[in-house]
Amino acid sequence: MTGLEKEAHLEALRFSTRRHFLKSCGAGFGAMALGALSSLEATARAGTSALAGASTTGPLPHFAPSAKRVIFLHMAGAPSQLELFDYKPELQRLHLQRCPESLLEGKRFAFIKGVPKMLGPQAAFSQHGESGAWVSDRMPFLAGEVDKITFLKAMHTDEFNHAPAQLLMHTGSPRFGRPSMGSWATYGLGSENESLPGFVVLLSGGVQPDAGASVYGSGFLPTVYQGVQCRSAGDPVLYLSNPGGMSSDVRKRSIEAINEVNRQQYEYVGDPEVLTRIAQYEMAYRMQASVPELMEIDSEPDYIHEMYGTEPGVTSFANNCLLARRLVERGVRFVQLFHWGWDSHGAGASEALNIGFKERCEETDRATAALLRDLDQRGLLDETLVVWGGEFGRTPMLENRTGDDNPYVGRDHHSDCFTMWIAGGGIKRGYTHGETDEIGYTRVGGSVHVHDLQATILHALGFDHERLTYSFQGRDFRLTDVSGHVVKEILA
Amino acid sequence: MVLGLSALLLSACSTRESVDFNADVRPILNDKCVSCHGGVRRRADLSLLFREDALRPAESGKPAIVPGNPDASELIRRVIDHDPEDRMPKEDDPLTEEEIGHLRQWIRDGAEWAPHWAYVAPTMPSVPRPAADGRSVIDSFVRARLEESGLTPSPEAECGVLVRRVTLDLIGLPPQPESVRAVCESESTYEEYVDELLASPRFGERWAAMWLDLARYADTQGYEKDGPRSIWRYRDYVIQAFNDDLPFDQFTIEQLAGDLLPDATVEQRLATAFHRNTMTNTEGGTDDEEHRVAAVIDRVNTTFEVWQGMSASCAQCHGHPFDPLRHEEYFQLFAFFNNTEDWDQDGDGPVEREFALQDRAEAERILAALDGVASRMDSLAETPELLAAHQTWETQLDDPAVVGAVRNTWQNELLRIVKIDESDRSDAQQAYSRKMFVETRPEFEAFRQERRELGQARAGLEQTTTPVLQALPDGRRRRTHVFERGNFLLPAAEVEPDTPAFLPPIQRDDTSRALNRLDLAEWLVSDENPLTARVMVNRFWEQLFGLGLVETLEDFGTEGAAPVHPELLDWLAISFREELNWSIKSLLKTVVLSSTYRQSSRVTPELLDADPRNTLLARGPRFRLSAEQIRDQALSVSGLLSETMFGPSVMPPQPDGIWQNPYSNMRWETAEGDERHRRALYTYWRRTAPYPSMITFDSPSREFCVSRRVRTNTPLQALVTLNDPVYVEAAEALAGRMQEAAATTREQIAAGYELAMGYPPVPAKLDAFVSLFEDVGGGGHADALVVVANAIMNTDEFLSKE
Repeated sequence: MTGLEKEAHLEALRFSTRRHFLKSCGAGFGAMALGALSSLEATARAGTSALAGASTTGPLPHFAPSAKRVIFLHMAGAPSQLELFDYKPELQRLHLQRCPESLLEGKRFAFIKGVPKMLGPQAAFSQHGESGAWVSDRMPFLAGEVDKITFLKAMHTDEFNHAPAQLLMHTGSPRFGRPSMGSWATYGLGSENESLPGFVVLLSGGVQPDAGASVYGSGFLPTVYQGVQCRSAGDPVLYLSNPGGMSSDVRKRSIEAINEVNRQQYEYVGDPEVLTRIAQYEMAYRMQASVPELMEIDSEPDYIHEMYGTEPGVTSFANNCLLARRLVERGVRFVQLFHWGWDSHGAGASEALNIGFKERCEETDRATAALLRDLDQRGLLDETLVVWGGEFGRTPMLENRTGDDNPYVGRDHHSDCFTMWIAGGGIKRGYTHGETDEIGYTRVGGSVHVHDLQATILHALGFDHERLTYSFQGRDFRLTDVSGHVVKEILA
Repeated sequence: MVLGLSALLLSACSTRESVDFNADVRPILNDKCVSCHGGVRRRADLSLLFREDALRPAESGKPAIVPGNPDASELIRRVIDHDPEDRMPKEDDPLTEEEIGHLRQWIRDGAEWAPHWAYVAPTMPSVPRPAADGRSVIDSFVRARLEESGLTPSPEAECGVLVRRVTLDLIGLPPQPESVRAVCESESTYEEYVDELLASPRFGERWAAMWLDLARYADTQGYEKDGPRSIWRYRDYVIQAFNDDLPFDQFTIEQLAGDLLPDATVEQRLATAFHRNTMTNTEGGTDDEEHRVAAVIDRVNTTFEVWQGMSASCAQCHGHPFDPLRHEEYFQLFAFFNNTEDWDQDGDGPVEREFALQDRAEAERILAALDGVASRMDSLAETPELLAAHQTWETQLDDPAVVGAVRNTWQNELLRIVKIDESDRSDAQQAYSRKMFVETRPEFEAFRQERRELGQARAGLEQTTTPVLQALPDGRRRRTHVFERGNFLLPAAEVEPDTPAFLPPIQRDDTSRALNRLDLAEWLVSDENPLTARVMVNRFWEQLFGLGLVETLEDFGTEGAAPVHPELLDWLAISFREELNWSIKSLLKTVVLSSTYRQSSRVTPELLDADPRNTLLARGPRFRLSAEQIRDQALSVSGLLSETMFGPSVMPPQPDGIWQNPYSNMRWETAEGDERHRRALYTYWRRTAPYPSMITFDSPSREFCVSRRVRTNTPLQALVTLNDPVYVEAAEALAGRMQEAAATTREQIAAGYELAMGYPPVPAKLDAFVSLFEDVGGGGHADALVVVANAIMNTDEFLSKE
């Protein structure tokens, strides 16, 4: 920890040096709203990155962080907690009985109409590890890692449709226009790597998140903070490759010429923005080497591929988990994964708890567990926060849109309780926080709202969530809107 | 002697003449008080936003402020209290002596709340004496201010640079070298050239790009599936309006209320698509009423941001934290927009249909048949049997199955009506209930089937459909309630459409009828409105200078930036509204002819130090081009640009895998031929996955109104202009033009630079490009010229407006 504290101090010094430059330059904080600051600032450190935060002054970390980086594994569509972690034998007893009407009063559902039946757990549960955490047989690999994890069993949110709920999870607001968590993190902390973006996004499952690029957008923060998607097919970063036939040497020479002309221009017009442009072209050239190197997972040893279940050359959640480890190893601040396909309504095979959901578990379980183990073995887990979960939970009731002979089993969206887990970076190992009632329908203790989770993640990164703010339209905005409490109970 | 001196000092401090509320008092209240005692929180039942609230006794029974008597004012007692429990601001540093002095003096003077500058109508300022070499009134204001700061204006920009600047500014494209030569060799004057640009059809395309950010125009519906929406006719309306120099007041009225104009034309109805650019949520399991309300809220917020420079959105959940907009008043504004037919349905109806010429006769026939069905449905409903069935049906509405058949956005009003005794209902209410009955009962199914078939036949005709605003008929008007904490499930007091009290009221003779959107639109552009003209001239100024006279384009409120040149702002605003009769072209011409605009953007270290962001305007603007301009310029200088205007949006090449929406089978169908090279504003805009190079150059996603694009400078931008196939193709085409232009390499490269910039290169730059050419293979390598063309198109000079 002392190492981290020292680094935080150095980081603070670095920021205050930058700030000193800004003051002497006469630009006030009003400038930041225009983004002019980012470029002025980069000028001060010409030759370094203005990508995703390395160039801009954020607020200083408010205290010593317990985590330097975050990997957020978002299971888009909202996986059922009742088939994974929230074991409810009582629900089994009520299986296919009519839902008591008292449970439905004043509730809003996306699809359930009338009085539904209860649906017992669709998987077998057992306890695992020293901590004795309940995990179903859908996730046998993760079951082996429970002693590294804190489970949050009484998560709740305000939204019950995917797009708004995903926005709330990642931007703190169900409406469009706010910066995402990764943007806030890079705005606050900058990047540790000058050849890679500070906030990287990896998608799998063949589909983007329901709310689109806004869930990793920078909102009203300058676009340098938006998440950069790294892709497994085509250019890993858009337009990274030189045009066909152009060698790296020719590119290097052409950037030299561009920058020479730019230097002449700077001497003539005196606009410091030109110096920033020079720095950006240099970084673009560096990225052309560093990003492909990063993406080359076939350089990893066999036992790593065995552990993750990776297969070089395809787009998969497993490959993305391995990339996430390679990214945090290289100092990338925030790695956001999305894996789509967890919306288990039971309206078809791909979204049935007994079919599609099972497949999603098989696609993700091994790699998720491997990521935790791999990070831990490399000593990275202690300084990297790993967060897993969907945008809301699912009902203990059966959703049955298509009639009694429906072979597919599903549950509707549920915003009142769901399970997420969080590991590493100063979070307790082998711990469970929060509890739901005997059918998993309401929270009975240890409630954690989405804003509380966000406050806790920022806390781990060294920020008081109420003070990490950005002034926009006359108001100081923050990730946690007007609420949020750090979940102290789960801090190691 | 000593005593006398200190007494003198003391009196000098305590009896200062007077304080200025906006300069000396409001900043203290905003910074230190209103976060707890304001529009959001009213701790101890005290709010300091409005005078009447501040003078009432608070929870303690004591008034915070007793005008004329600071010592009796609880506010003063609490800010000087030594007990940390009682002293305000709580858990914060105490106020300084000076701040306390200002508060005391202000209370002693009577504690008057002066209105914020922007909420007071501008008056024509007196113009300072004309500056020596200034051409325009603008220069007189700017130079008077520079003199105060001890700065001198910059000389005029070099001719070629200026011609390029004004061309990019007015038509969004670079000048042709011939145009530069014509002006710089005095074949034509600068003013003649400006007139030529203003008359160009390219003008409307450039300025539409700015307006479409405000209108949050896109070709899709937003949210999860983000399905297609045919609304490009609105984009074309905007282009045409700018080209026709449609006066801004008219432009305003048509977009907000074109459907309510007497004998509205098709174009006027299409203009209302401005507010149909709100998102439609077609995700499964969403509540249509929830998202209809979200769209109406967006219309309120967008209207107030665009025309009033105000972030009204704060007030949808509670009173505005800083500005004098009350929670109830927000919903009075909401009421203006709450009475249109649209309701978050997948098809985005109602739409304006424009049939192809050959199908118009058939369309008329179908329309007549639809009218026939409607009247036969009415006749059937009038039969005794069904009149009775209607009455029975009304009694069955507590059955969820019966009421559930009625569209959910209409259920509440229906349930309210059926509680009223039939004899007490208005005709409209009775018609409302009958319509719901007719639309859900099996007796009418045959008619509904016929109607569906006619609808399908109509859909099969060649036509363009555009979502538009359509006012609800009197009988189906919605009531508007304040939503507690902004939650549409918690309706509270009912409100009528009206404007907020801190702005002048709507003038009208007939107070018996409810106000509507047309009243609101006319009020926005009325002489009394203090904001619209200022907010608009500021937007145009920002487009030219990179920084608004009020930097916060979107916020003219008390927390927004104060104008650096307030008199210039007011002069421009009043001139725009009166002398120029809301003509945007005249306004732009006035500005670009000024000496202030024509200054060189070169900056010395001293000037950079004195005014790093050029707020005082001692030099000309210099900043990176917009996303649209970057693309259009590359296509233009390479000779690839298509001049085709209007029509459905096009899909120029983009990398695979950008579109991956859930539950969507939309595909990017890459355009062929000329369609690949249309101007950027014709590119298909999908909100959840916008065209990548546009986003990289800071364009918004268009999910909501954006006043100001934040300009960034990133390596991802370099990758676009270096490697994106669009830019590589442009470099190849430019290299081809270079080869044709001259015989020797040096001349070819000089020609390429001139094609790109409009003016020839200085020798040192030319040397650098020639040496690049030689190093990458020279004449023996076919691609060497392409590499040079690509380099020219990646220089900061090319990517910037100087």
